[in-house]
Amino acid sequence: MTLNDWIILLLAMAIPMHVILGACAYLILLERKLSAWMQDRVGPNRAGPMGLLQPLADGIKFILKEEMMPGHINKFLYVLAPGITCFTALFAFAVVPYGPTSSEPGVFPFIIAPNVDLGLLFLFAVGSLNVYGIILGGWASNNKYSALGALRASAQVVSYEIPLGMSVLGVILLAGSMNIETIMNQQIEHGFMGWNIWYQPLAALLFFTAAMAESNRLPFDLAECEQELVGGFHTEYSSMKFAMFALGEYVHITTLGFVLSCLYFGGWHFPWIATAESAYPGAWAVKVLVLLTKVFAVLVLIQLLRWTIPRFRFDQLMGLAWKVMIPLATVNVLMVMCFKQFGWDPMWMLPGSLAIFICAGVVGVQSARSGRSLAAAA
Amino acid sequence: MDISVYAILLYAGMVAGFVVVNLALTHLLSPNKRTAVKQMPYESGMDPVGDARQPFDVKFYIVAILFLVFDVELLFLYPWAVSAYIDDASGVPAGLRDTVFGVMLVFMATLAIAYVYAWRKGVFKWR
Repeated sequence: MTLNDWIILLLAMAIPMHVILGACAYLILLERKLSAWMQDRVGPNRAGPMGLLQPLADGIKFILKEEMMPGHINKFLYVLAPGITCFTALFAFAVVPYGPTSSEPGVFPFIIAPNVDLGLLFLFAVGSLNVYGIILGGWASNNKYSALGALRASAQVVSYEIPLGMSVLGVILLAGSMNIETIMNQQIEHGFMGWNIWYQPLAALLFFTAAMAESNRLPFDLAECEQELVGGFHTEYSSMKFAMFALGEYVHITTLGFVLSCLYFGGWHFPWIATAESAYPGAWAVKVLVLLTKVFAVLVLIQLLRWTIPRFRFDQLMGLAWKVMIPLATVNVLMVMCFKQFGWDPMWMLPGSLAIFICAGVVGVQSARSGRSLAAAA
Repeated sequence: MDISVYAILLYAGMVAGFVVVNLALTHLLSPNKRTAVKQMPYESGMDPVGDARQPFDVKFYIVAILFLVFDVELLFLYPWAVSAYIDDASGVPAGLRDTVFGVMLVFMATLAIAYVYAWRKGVFKWR
């Protein structure tokens, strides 16, 4: 490799990492502003115009604030836990494309590690390691709130891991690859109607829900529950270590936005503006912008959902994962399998998904109404 | 070695560096005044009773075991999903597709039986 290749490699790494870190700081501001807007408040407006310097002030505060270490903790694990959370969240981004990817030498790749054939598996494997951060943090804190929060959170993260992994199986079957770039490029070749959302709407919904539960976002933030558990597994954390947990969560949802856009919404493709043919000067910038817009839309949706859906009860949360999402994801895989085997027109996958979804809804309502649901029978 | 291996390793180092530097920076820059009350576990102002590391509900173990079963099952599905319906040499040959389809149906049926068994046993029910 020449010096030029190394520079490109390093830039392709350093730029997204720092953009994500900066974006996460501003996502927190956006979240606070959106919350304020939805609750008819003003929100942060003291630091800089419209509170725009708030993330900077927060960052300085996090570094300079007293580093509290309670006397009853297991020190090594206590420090390790936020590190693991932050590291895994950032590291999982290595295989996620953030623009028109290429693996030719000397071209900016728009992905940190190009051509990883096990991309999706890598993403899930590294992303799910953050359960170690949660359980170690909760255990090392030696605090009752933390222990309860960590237990709940690990049960939740572990349960939603399965629908998360299963929902993408349909896409993998369709594309015949686990490489996120390949999946994205196949959609782009087929244009707007090639987006996987038209074939796998149910899987996209399941993926989105499960990934939100993975990142412990409200309505799935059983781990934190301010009212019951104070802060859950990070009750005893303060200053930069607390910030690491928060950062991990935001990096996680940013990655979710990118992966959702790349797997189901055609990546950087948008009809007329950015297609496989568009080669006008500056097309790469437009493509990156299109992708970022999609990601931003997902992020805003997540933040709006936070104040729209109330938090689940713990048994409902586990029920949703085990009794609803896993069977639905399995049926979805079976459907794609049959379509592929018998060579049916993939156009019928959209009505098929809708039919599955409606059937599941009817079965759920019926069993709840008759009062002798399968759950009660068990 | 492939370029992506370098890239992943380099990126891992970069991220680890970021994490370590940040943790170390706070440790060095922040004030540190310990008092007895500050060092207590935070339990909403109450004096803590007993240890936090107590035995917990067996339900959590069962969920963990169930997760293991389903996750391993998922790992079996991934290679199949990648290779089942692609037309190049790395995929399943066209003549074997019907067999593979049947095998997968049996696999899924076995899984469904296990799933129904767990459900009837009340594993998914939290009391």
